[in-house]
Amino acid sequence: MSALVELEGVSKSFGGEGWFDRTKPVQALRGVDMRIARGEALGVVGESGSGKSTLGRVALGLLEPNAGQVRFDGASVGGASPAHWRALRRRMQIVFQDPFGSLDPRRRVGVQIADGLAIHDIVPAAARAAKVAELLGLVGLPPEHGDRFPHEFSGGQRQRIGIARALATGPDFLVADEPVSALDVSIQAQIVGLLAKLRAELGLAMMFVSHDLRVVRRLCDRVQVLYLGRTMEEGPAARVFESPAHPYTRALLAAAPRLDGPRRAKLLLRGDPPSPSSPPSGCVFRTRCAHATAECAAAVPALREISAGHKAACVHLERIPPL
Amino acid sequence: MKRIAFPAAFVAALVLTALAAPLLDLPDPIRQDIANRLAGAMAGSPLGRDEFGRDVLARLIWGARASLGVAFASAALACLVGVTLGLIGGWMRGLGEILTLRLVDIVLCFPPILLALLVVTLLGPGAGTLILVLAVLYAPGFARLTYGEVLSVRATDYVEAVRALGASTPRILTRTVLPNIAGPILVQFSLAVAAAVVVESGLSFLGLGVVPPTPSWGLMIRGGRTTMAQAPLLLLWPCLALTLTILAMNLLCDALRDAVDPRARAGGGRRRIVDRVLPGLFPAPRPAAPGLSISHLSVEIDTPKGTIRPVDDVSLSVASGETLAVVGESGSGKTLTALATMGLLDPSVRVVAGQVLFEGRDLLTLDERDLRALRGKRIAMIFQDPMTALNPVMRVGDQIVEAIRAHSAAGARAATDRALELFRRVGIADPEKRLRVYPHEMSGGMRQRAMIAMALANNPVLLVADEPTTALDATVQAQILDLLADLRRDTGAALIFITHSLAVVAEIADQVVVMYAGQIVESGPVAAVFATPRHPYTAALLAASPDSNDPSAGIPGTVPALHALPPGCRFAPRCAHATDACATPPVLEVLEDGRESRCVRRREIFG
Amino acid sequence: MIWYLRRVAISLLLLLSIAAIVFFALHAIPGDPAEVLLSTGGVSPDAATVAALRTKLGLDKPILEQFATFLFAAARGDFGTSLVDDYPVIDEIALRLPRTLELVFAGALLAVAIGLPAGVAAAMGRDGIFDRVASGAAALLLAVPVFVVGTLLVLLFAQVLRWMPAGGYVAFDRDPARHMLLLTLPAIAVAKGLAATVFRMARAATLDALSRDHVRTARAKGLSPMRVLLRHVVRNALSPVVTVLGLQMGTLLGGTVLVEYVFNWPGLSTPLLRAVEGRDYPMVVGIVLTVSALFLLINLIMDAIYALLDPRARSA
Repeated sequence: MSALVELEGVSKSFGGEGWFDRTKPVQALRGVDMRIARGEALGVVGESGSGKSTLGRVALGLLEPNAGQVRFDGASVGGASPAHWRALRRRMQIVFQDPFGSLDPRRRVGVQIADGLAIHDIVPAAARAAKVAELLGLVGLPPEHGDRFPHEFSGGQRQRIGIARALATGPDFLVADEPVSALDVSIQAQIVGLLAKLRAELGLAMMFVSHDLRVVRRLCDRVQVLYLGRTMEEGPAARVFESPAHPYTRALLAAAPRLDGPRRAKLLLRGDPPSPSSPPSGCVFRTRCAHATAECAAAVPALREISAGHKAACVHLERIPPL
Repeated sequence: MKRIAFPAAFVAALVLTALAAPLLDLPDPIRQDIANRLAGAMAGSPLGRDEFGRDVLARLIWGARASLGVAFASAALACLVGVTLGLIGGWMRGLGEILTLRLVDIVLCFPPILLALLVVTLLGPGAGTLILVLAVLYAPGFARLTYGEVLSVRATDYVEAVRALGASTPRILTRTVLPNIAGPILVQFSLAVAAAVVVESGLSFLGLGVVPPTPSWGLMIRGGRTTMAQAPLLLLWPCLALTLTILAMNLLCDALRDAVDPRARAGGGRRRIVDRVLPGLFPAPRPAAPGLSISHLSVEIDTPKGTIRPVDDVSLSVASGETLAVVGESGSGKTLTALATMGLLDPSVRVVAGQVLFEGRDLLTLDERDLRALRGKRIAMIFQDPMTALNPVMRVGDQIVEAIRAHSAAGARAATDRALELFRRVGIADPEKRLRVYPHEMSGGMRQRAMIAMALANNPVLLVADEPTTALDATVQAQILDLLADLRRDTGAALIFITHSLAVVAEIADQVVVMYAGQIVESGPVAAVFATPRHPYTAALLAASPDSNDPSAGIPGTVPALHALPPGCRFAPRCAHATDACATPPVLEVLEDGRESRCVRRREIFG
Repeated sequence: MIWYLRRVAISLLLLLSIAAIVFFALHAIPGDPAEVLLSTGGVSPDAATVAALRTKLGLDKPILEQFATFLFAAARGDFGTSLVDDYPVIDEIALRLPRTLELVFAGALLAVAIGLPAGVAAAMGRDGIFDRVASGAAALLLAVPVFVVGTLLVLLFAQVLRWMPAGGYVAFDRDPARHMLLLTLPAIAVAKGLAATVFRMARAATLDALSRDHVRTARAKGLSPMRVLLRHVVRNALSPVVTVLGLQMGTLLGGTVLVEYVFNWPGLSTPLLRAVEGRDYPMVVGIVLTVSALFLLINLIMDAIYALLDPRARSA
């Protein structure tokens, strides 16, 4: 069975487009592949400049890639006819990072949740209020909250409203773009729990973008690690966490401060992340990698399979000692 | 609201009077009566007659009609054209942007009066020409404003959400974009009307605006000039009318602008000297080792919803060579506590109780000069966002040198050498080059290292770091934490580290203080507190932490707003163990091993 | 450097566009240009006069050729001759431009000298007495139109108090003292709007700079208040003030026209207003282009100053 969402060789750059735009183009994505099966949750992890948010928007068709193919349920997303485009919008939706910018401050939240219902005429106008109440209940909010304005809610509640809005059209695929990064720790866990529950109940395929590996671990089946627009490693979540193969993944895992005390291994990276507008040649990670050799500058390493479904893009995989 | 009411009422009254002019029982403003020229106040003419014997009051009111009519008409036309152009340019981008915006820019380049005069040359004076000219003059302002607003609204997530839902462009523009930019457009409209009144009166004054015999305030002033010697009042009436009208309009514009773009002002009031309220019934502050000791600090802010206490009776201390972590979520009061110790609170925030003992003195009672001697020298602070904490128009090296020379007699050369040394110490590669760059030319991690270098410049004995790694990437954060730990070991300074991440606390701190809604709820050595928490909030935070082993769903509910606190324990509404005993405000108790906890039920819950 | 050259290029392009607008405006009006220019007061001109004017202005040639001729002549400073008295337009401009410039600079200087320190002081003592009084005065100054101010100044100082002459001009080299005396009232009138605007902008920019994090950092370093003020507050606040100066130049130039009229200062306004009334198009065009070029030049200078103050602008 083909995957629900398929991206092949996608590249995307920004800047230098308009006639008066003199900024140097920045490559956000370089030849990235991504596959998500029906009902599967993929975690896309990376730091700033990795291109993870761009990847989400390209997958949704909100951004056109400069190169590569984007397919949803077998059909190409790019160049879709207006009718096909509208149909697509029903089936895939997005939840944003910033709970304070993702809701229109001028409209009541019930109206905003009902937007999707109105645009696609999913239920007749009379039935919309009931559907909105149902959606609010689904995300754990009382139905009378639909009459309030966004500024009357806290960050966590606004995220719930954003999720309700995304679910209104009954999508098969949800992109969650760092949905908990802007929330307090105690609320983060609430929202992650909600997403897990909804995924199970509705059978959603999900792309969960985050910079925090530990959050991803709880929610996702598979993980893809990006650095400077390229995939460094991908595979089943448990495997990647237990035996990370790529030096960058290892550094990411090691960098996260742990509750049980100081880090066991000192795997600190050297130097600062390079600028996305002038990336290093060959392996983009080599300037900070402790294992880099001349070979790494020669060519972009391909993703090699280590075990079932677990791949990493590094020429030195065999030589790096296991953790 | 009051600010809008008065000017709005004045302008409204003026507009209504002008509109009602034909209905009022006024003498004919145009009919001349030379016999009575320059007459003072007389029957039927309370303000007298002008140089042609015409009634002044009638001319004032009809003049208002002419001036305001031209002003509103031209502003409305300018708004229509300008907003449309701005919408096209801002939404379509590409070719549409070039056509609309660049053309609009050309008009903006013309000094306005010259453009007006040019058109008057070609079309002759008159109200119609004026409306056209003024509309052309002010449309670019609307276009530019709309363009800018559309661009920024376009980038918001909520517009992207509506696009993702599949809404059509007209729907997005009318339902989402326009309502959100209506405020600034309204302000611009009021500005355009006010400006139009000024330009029209100026042109009429020159004899190139409204054509006589139609009255206009500008024309009246023009006429009044010639008879300035004999009848100065004749000149003053239209000047007064014009000035008051424009003043009212300007005030209205300002008030509208503020209403549309409110900035929270937390109550007025300057900082008062500390009130030495009784410190309370609790044990004396911890024994003074060299280091910092805060006891029973409380801080208040006046807000529109009432006075709140973002820091409520906080006591903590840190000894030299030790790291104290202050942990809490947003609104816990941790940053304000830190700022209070250095006297860096915003003037609207008042310290109402407490002491901050450092090197034998209470910092809260020191005057500004003494505090300045300490800041940057004995106590140094590292802020959260190095991009805004560093001066963007000064070279980084100069800012370090400045810190050094503020507290020592070092010359420029010596200070630069020390800055170089500091840069090396914090791990900045290529330090000579980096001294000369500006903050925006450095990466986030490097900027934070520079901030740390600046804090260390004068070998402080106490470092206060306010979430120094929150804005950084994970891998860079790890480097900075390592650096801080190294430095602390080498210099023996005390470190107060403020954060919201428990994991960071575990990594770097010896002692920890947990804050919730302005109060301390638990404190003690890190290992002990994390292994056996003695407050439900600490326990819940530990469980909710991303790398805990317990996949619980976080802490239900939200932090209470400071003006609507629950009567008893502030955490009770969200606590799984709350009982009736929690309705009385719990007190922070010192436990046997020196730890503290604010939970009355801790023995039942934790054993 | 390159960005600055781009700005210069854009300015030249803008000047060209303005010239185009000014030129084609005449032809955009319905009716024959020559007839339009000659019909004042609703009286139709006779055919012979119209024909003479057409030949004189070269209106019988193809329009693009006319435009090209116009552009090349204008670049050399040749704006043709006045339709009223047949003297070369450029001579009149050359004579009067320096006097207008003198008034503009005097006014601008006065405005900044008063507005900038007042604005900073008001911000430092926010909501205090000085702030309230100064802000109120600024609001009032902004509301009173410049010609009202000028007229009232004449009324007060010349008519009532008899301290100063009502207007007029004497060349500087002939009588410096009287020259400066006659410059005073007009300069004050010209400065009034700009002073209020600079005050407001300086106040707002200073308040904003004071609230910035880096000021808190500077205080945390233990720097003296004066140093914090000068190097960390005022320096950052200057850029918006420079920006607003550039933007207000257009209004300032317009105000100068009115002030010259009120005080009989023999600058460019006299021939300009006469030309507007008499439909002396070559004169109007010449003055408009000259002043526009001046305006663009001032803005280029402001850009350079801005970049000096804010290094982020250099890489933009």
